[in-house]
Amino acid sequence: MIEFKNVTKTYETEDALKELTLTINDGELFVLVGPSGSGKTTLLKMINRLAVPTSGEVSIDGQNVAEMDLENLRRHTGYVLQTGALFPNMTVEQNAGIQLEALGWEATKRHQRIVELMKRVDLDPELFLKRLPSELSGGESQRIGIVRALASNPKLILMDEPFSALDPLSKRQLQELILHLHAELATTFVFVTHDMREAIRLADRLAVIHNGELQQLGSAKEILSAPANDFVREFFDDDSIRRQFMQTVVAAGLGQPITLVKTDRLATDVIVSGDVVKMAASDTIFSWAALVKQHPQQVVQVEETLLKPADLIAYLAQAKEAK
Amino acid sequence: MFDSLNTYIAENGNEILLSLWQHIEISAIAALITIIIAIPLAVVLLNHRRGGEFVLQVASVIQTIPSLAILGLLIPFVGIGTVPAIIALVLYAIMPIFSNTYSGLTNIDPVLMEAADAMGVSKRYKLFRIQFPLAMPMILSGIRIGVVMIIGTATLAALIGGGGLGTYILLGIQSNNNNALLIGAVLAAVLALVASWIIKALSGVSIKKIGIGVLVLAILGGAAYGINAALKPKTETIIVAGKMGGEPEILINMYKDLIEADNPNLNVEVKRNFGGTTFLFKALQSDQVQIYPEFTGTVLQSLVKTDQGVSHNPETAYQTAKTALSKQFKMTYLEPMKYQNGYAMAVSKETAEKYNLKTVADLAAHPELVAGFDADFYQQNDGYPGLKEAYGLNFETVRTMEPSLRYEALADGKLDVTDAYTTDPQVKKYDLVLLEDTKSFFPPYQGAPVMMKSFAKKHPGVSKSLNKLAGKITTKQMQEMNYKVTVEHEKAATVAREFLVEQGLLKK
Repeated sequence: MIEFKNVTKTYETEDALKELTLTINDGELFVLVGPSGSGKTTLLKMINRLAVPTSGEVSIDGQNVAEMDLENLRRHTGYVLQTGALFPNMTVEQNAGIQLEALGWEATKRHQRIVELMKRVDLDPELFLKRLPSELSGGESQRIGIVRALASNPKLILMDEPFSALDPLSKRQLQELILHLHAELATTFVFVTHDMREAIRLADRLAVIHNGELQQLGSAKEILSAPANDFVREFFDDDSIRRQFMQTVVAAGLGQPITLVKTDRLATDVIVSGDVVKMAASDTIFSWAALVKQHPQQVVQVEETLLKPADLIAYLAQAKEAK
Repeated sequence: MFDSLNTYIAENGNEILLSLWQHIEISAIAALITIIIAIPLAVVLLNHRRGGEFVLQVASVIQTIPSLAILGLLIPFVGIGTVPAIIALVLYAIMPIFSNTYSGLTNIDPVLMEAADAMGVSKRYKLFRIQFPLAMPMILSGIRIGVVMIIGTATLAALIGGGGLGTYILLGIQSNNNNALLIGAVLAAVLALVASWIIKALSGVSIKKIGIGVLVLAILGGAAYGINAALKPKTETIIVAGKMGGEPEILINMYKDLIEADNPNLNVEVKRNFGGTTFLFKALQSDQVQIYPEFTGTVLQSLVKTDQGVSHNPETAYQTAKTALSKQFKMTYLEPMKYQNGYAMAVSKETAEKYNLKTVADLAAHPELVAGFDADFYQQNDGYPGLKEAYGLNFETVRTMEPSLRYEALADGKLDVTDAYTTDPQVKKYDLVLLEDTKSFFPPYQGAPVMMKSFAKKHPGVSKSLNKLAGKITTKQMQEMNYKVTVEHEKAATVAREFLVEQGLLKK
């Protein structure tokens, strides 16, 4: 468990973080999201003391990081940077094994561990171990960066905008890899990004940071359906995301208000028979579609509106294709 | 031209190689010391930006001081010879090596430095496995610049008795010997190119191998040096130096032969082209040099303080000089040789006939003549300023120039009047007319060895050997020997020995 208690960071005269309090649970894939300059990266770096709070306290499992042995803390924390940040003078194997070397592992044990992890990230050890970073693509470098972070089998992995410089395809593949690894390992991931789609895709829980302050904390669903303030609403204001939610369907004017349907026979029958499934405004149209697939005639109720399967077709038909 | 170059190389091959080796030795030691100072300094100051900037500023300031000035500034502290030469070279080369190392280490991509910190590697690991390898291209190019600079500047070491290829460059300039000049300059340039190429080639080699290589070289060098030192006979070495030019070189070679013939336990090291009067005199005082030949006239004019005017009687002049040196500087001035190498005014035969010039006084009527003087002569009281007053000379155009060039300029008609030394071989070569000094303005210039009294007392044999030259060597003999060395490019050592044997002063 990682706890931030009233953490403030002041640069010169400006506050980068203001009295921020936050808890990250064990085994979570926790995403810190916000525009650039929001303070999210500073927050991440405080965990392994690459940044030190001006005031306040950061603790891991109840132990203040300021009191921990620095090298030991860092050797047992995975860290993935933008662009991989591999050392250009070392081979892939040397790069990946750097923490293990610092921890004093033998060469053969190191080699075994790296080979095993290379396979896990879908890179052929035979082909890649002896290469230099200059001979790797962006996606490959970042996979090695991930191997390096995983090498010492840390309980905690910190990732600082690791995929921001990648092409969309590599980005997607690596996001899948992270989700996959997170599912396999009992490791806490703290992931920083400015890309809200990436945040939504990856996060168990996410924290929206802006101007050094925590704007909202919760699951993607919670945040999207109920933005805490204008900033959060605007930050996640994206057609393709908003369109996924039932509340948007209602806002589009589809369906009929319950009050009105009382004169409609079919609807009245339905209500009377009680055969209506209630859905939350924050539910997605995908779960609605799944329901309709099972029960082709199912009517659903979102707040005060009744929606028929035909409304789903109508909604999808009017939606523009996402760019 | 190539023929004469070939002959010169064939005759002086061993000496040239020795100079080349000396040059390499001085440069290598200087480079090694610079690296040992500059790189760790850059590492230490890595986390003290202000300190780093400060050192950078100081190093750049040092670099703006002319190298000759640095050499001059160092003499009072460390004397002359190889040591100050190396110190000056080190001071010079620190700037490029330090600044490249420093900026190489500080300009590494901050993301990589963050990655290294985040991995929790030790400081040592970070420095040697990450920072140094990444900064290596910058560091090596700094070393390359530094080494090339050292090799180039090391030619100046010859000026303060450090030896090296500069000896040939100096010799070439002084004696107008293009062969020597060419050899010195070309070899120095080639050496710089080769060194630069080797260092460039090293950039492809891993640091481990470079480290091992340097270590092996250091051990081999140390061992060779140790063995060399151990094998050297335990005789005392005394240094005999001479001013620039052929004549002093002939004289000091005679000193060497005479001293070594009579004193088997003494080893005489000859330092030719050792610099100007003041420089040599200071070197003698600080015991960097034990003996050098000096003229009575120069002693009286420039070195000692006398209340009376300079006597024009050679014997009186010598006695005055001897007493003054003894009283004021605790020096011993041995008996002078016979010949006089004084100043004289020289004109070409045609000019002399055209204007009917016979004495210096005749020049006063012809201010339109173009005069060209050696820089010393132009400034010293016993030179042009005094002469001008004594004879009422009033040349409209006076140039200062290298002594070696003025005769040729005179022969070519670019100059009408110049100062000359009576023993200069060119007087004979160009058939010049020396104008009579009717007012006896020029003091007598007789050469004799000068040394510290303490040295003379400790080595009575040396004085005895050198006194064999007292009253020997006529002006004509000296002129002839100078002709052989300066014009015919014979070796001074050979000419000196031949003369001593011929005169029965030395057994074959």
